[in-house]
Amino acid sequence: MFKKKGWFTLLSLVLMVSVILAGCGGGNDKASSGSNSGGETAANTDKKDSGETKNLTFMFRGGTDEQKAYEGVVKQFEADHPNVKVKIVVTAADQYATKLKASITGNSVPDVFYFESGDLKAYVNSGILLDLTGYIENNPNIDLNNIWQYGVDLYRYDGTMAGQGNLYGMPKDVGPFALGYNKTMFEAAGVPLPDNDKPYTWDEFIKVAQQLTIDKDGDGKKDQFGAGFNVQWALPAFVWSNGADWLDATKTKVTIDEPNFIEALQFFADMQLKYGITPSTEQAQTLDTYQRWMKGEMAFFPVGPWDMSTYEKLPFEYDLIPYPAGSTGKSATWTGSLGIGASAKTKHPDEAVELINYLTASKEGMEALVQAKVQIPNLIDMATEWAADTTTKPANKEEFLQVVNEYGRVLPGHYTYNAEWYSLFYTDIQPVLDGKITAAEYVKEEQPKMQKLLDKAVEQEAKSKK
Amino acid sequence: MNAKSNLYRKEKIYGFLFILPPLLGLLIFTLYPMIYSIYGSFTDWDGLGQMNWIGLSNFTDLLSDELFHKALFNTLFMMLGIPVGITLALLLALGLNRGVPGTTAFRVIYYVPVISSLAAVSIMWNWAYNGDYGLVNQFLDLLGISGPNWMANKYTVKPALIIMAVWKGLGYTMLLYLAALQSVSRSYYEAAELDGANGFQSFWNITWPMVRPVTFFIIVTNIIGGSQIFTEMNIMTPTGGPEYASASVVFYIWQKAFGNFQMGYASAMAVFLGVFIFVVTLIQFRMNEKQSFDVD
Repeated sequence: MFKKKGWFTLLSLVLMVSVILAGCGGGNDKASSGSNSGGETAANTDKKDSGETKNLTFMFRGGTDEQKAYEGVVKQFEADHPNVKVKIVVTAADQYATKLKASITGNSVPDVFYFESGDLKAYVNSGILLDLTGYIENNPNIDLNNIWQYGVDLYRYDGTMAGQGNLYGMPKDVGPFALGYNKTMFEAAGVPLPDNDKPYTWDEFIKVAQQLTIDKDGDGKKDQFGAGFNVQWALPAFVWSNGADWLDATKTKVTIDEPNFIEALQFFADMQLKYGITPSTEQAQTLDTYQRWMKGEMAFFPVGPWDMSTYEKLPFEYDLIPYPAGSTGKSATWTGSLGIGASAKTKHPDEAVELINYLTASKEGMEALVQAKVQIPNLIDMATEWAADTTTKPANKEEFLQVVNEYGRVLPGHYTYNAEWYSLFYTDIQPVLDGKITAAEYVKEEQPKMQKLLDKAVEQEAKSKK
Repeated sequence: MNAKSNLYRKEKIYGFLFILPPLLGLLIFTLYPMIYSIYGSFTDWDGLGQMNWIGLSNFTDLLSDELFHKALFNTLFMMLGIPVGITLALLLALGLNRGVPGTTAFRVIYYVPVISSLAAVSIMWNWAYNGDYGLVNQFLDLLGISGPNWMANKYTVKPALIIMAVWKGLGYTMLLYLAALQSVSRSYYEAAELDGANGFQSFWNITWPMVRPVTFFIIVTNIIGGSQIFTEMNIMTPTGGPEYASASVVFYIWQKAFGNFQMGYASAMAVFLGVFIFVVTLIQFRMNEKQSFDVD
């Protein structure tokens, strides 16, 4: 009898303790890191046999082509490093942020993981990212000068401003969003081909696009359009090349109410409203402009390196040119990037950094990824060689490199603690594109709302540094 | 006496052991997170670092948060699908209960959406709603109507989501009604027939009251489920739709918590939503008690 009761008490005690421990793991008690944070870091808790096999977890995201490419490179890494085992955790792109943030909250940060450059400040201030500066800058195997400075600088942060200071990640790649055009369509219409190096002015662009916007079968509906732009990804090109931006230099003031900005936004809307060169929102969502481009019914369309494997099979010739230039006379465009960083609490920082290097800065790793046509090379010498090869589409791959080196920029959300204020801009923008209100009216109404959210982000950032 | 108490104790222990696993599950996965998020709702927690107590200010911020109001309105608006779904399901169940030929096939057809993955269903409907090539607009074209671009228009996006939700939930509701209808004793109808009641009268005076408990159950669960609607909009309108017209409260919570480092604020919304659901459900139970009657 007594025996049984004792056994029961013991069992309940064990269970109670485990509940309490589970509680700690779920919280943000940094000291209890890894003590019971199941799943993802379970792999690196076996201290006993360090020196033999070192286990790392690598969490990333991507489409199927990309997943396959990265899994292959990780296998190769394991073959080259027999004492390191990498456990892969992969998700679809849209679930990644949720999963990563949940694992951070649950104190089970993967050893090596992708992160958005916009989240850099928050992660560094909260001590989540490993400072890679020492590991990378003095590493004889890494020549930082041979990697796109744009990409590397995205993951620098000195405690105040992003873009300078210590290095907390390496670019997985850089994604220059160049402008493509349908060469076959130009030739068919007898329109002179655009210059590879001299951007169109806005007026020229409209004229050319209008020549290519045609109602072919005469049913009163246009079935070939000059261009198709998704506002979220293409508007920055027009705003920046007109000398405007969403933020001022201090990154604390929303500047969408300045004249150059208004002009660019109105021009963007007018491409459809006034000049009729793009399908209206009612006529097409992003997917449809993409489909129209793929079917050869669109003259200009933005092209990213991630599109190259798909566009290989296009039924027409396409090539890359700079974006039409606004009042600055210079092209501008968004260049994406995703960073790979390591957990500040990883048990094997050396191996984690080694994996990051392999994925971002090694010749072996890069070659495999470039071959899969999911990205442009991170290594400048390799990229130059790659761009010079005109046998693969598009011929003017050089444009991608020029974007990275000369006129690519990061979205404004990168500079702020969160990008909520920036998202709001697109949440409310539809009436402008539909011509229900003017750009001037819109920014007047929107600026204070965005400023309020930005102020909140600035305040949050200050708090997070304590 | 002693023997009895021993037996009693032994049973008590076994009893405890049996309920221990679910009880632990409840403590760890429900109660603990709940308490944690209630605590979080009074802090400025960003989901990563320190939690600082800020009292009620998250809740007072909610009062003036335009997007939260929009999300709340959208969530309530989309509940308009509930009466529609109930009516359709009941009509279908009545039809199937009469033994229309091919009943089994119909049951399967209406039940398939219920067991399909919500994500897959959302992707499929997204294609159907496509403005240019979508099935819905192609069908409308046949009738000479030029359909809108459903998901990109702030006036059509909510109805589009409602239609989809009704379609998705129809089979489940119908099955519940079918079960309820089949448990109504034939003798009531025979008696009504003898008294000269017509079809509508016997429906209104027999069927409807007899399936009342099921209707009540459906309304309660649908409102709870409707308050937590998320997956559909997350997949079909990942930015919250044109002018945030399709964002639900849970969608907004998710954006704040995982997109914008505002776990504390998101927790406050979650607490608000929890209280809201609790109160609405309580009211429903009260109303149900008042209106219920005994059938002897």
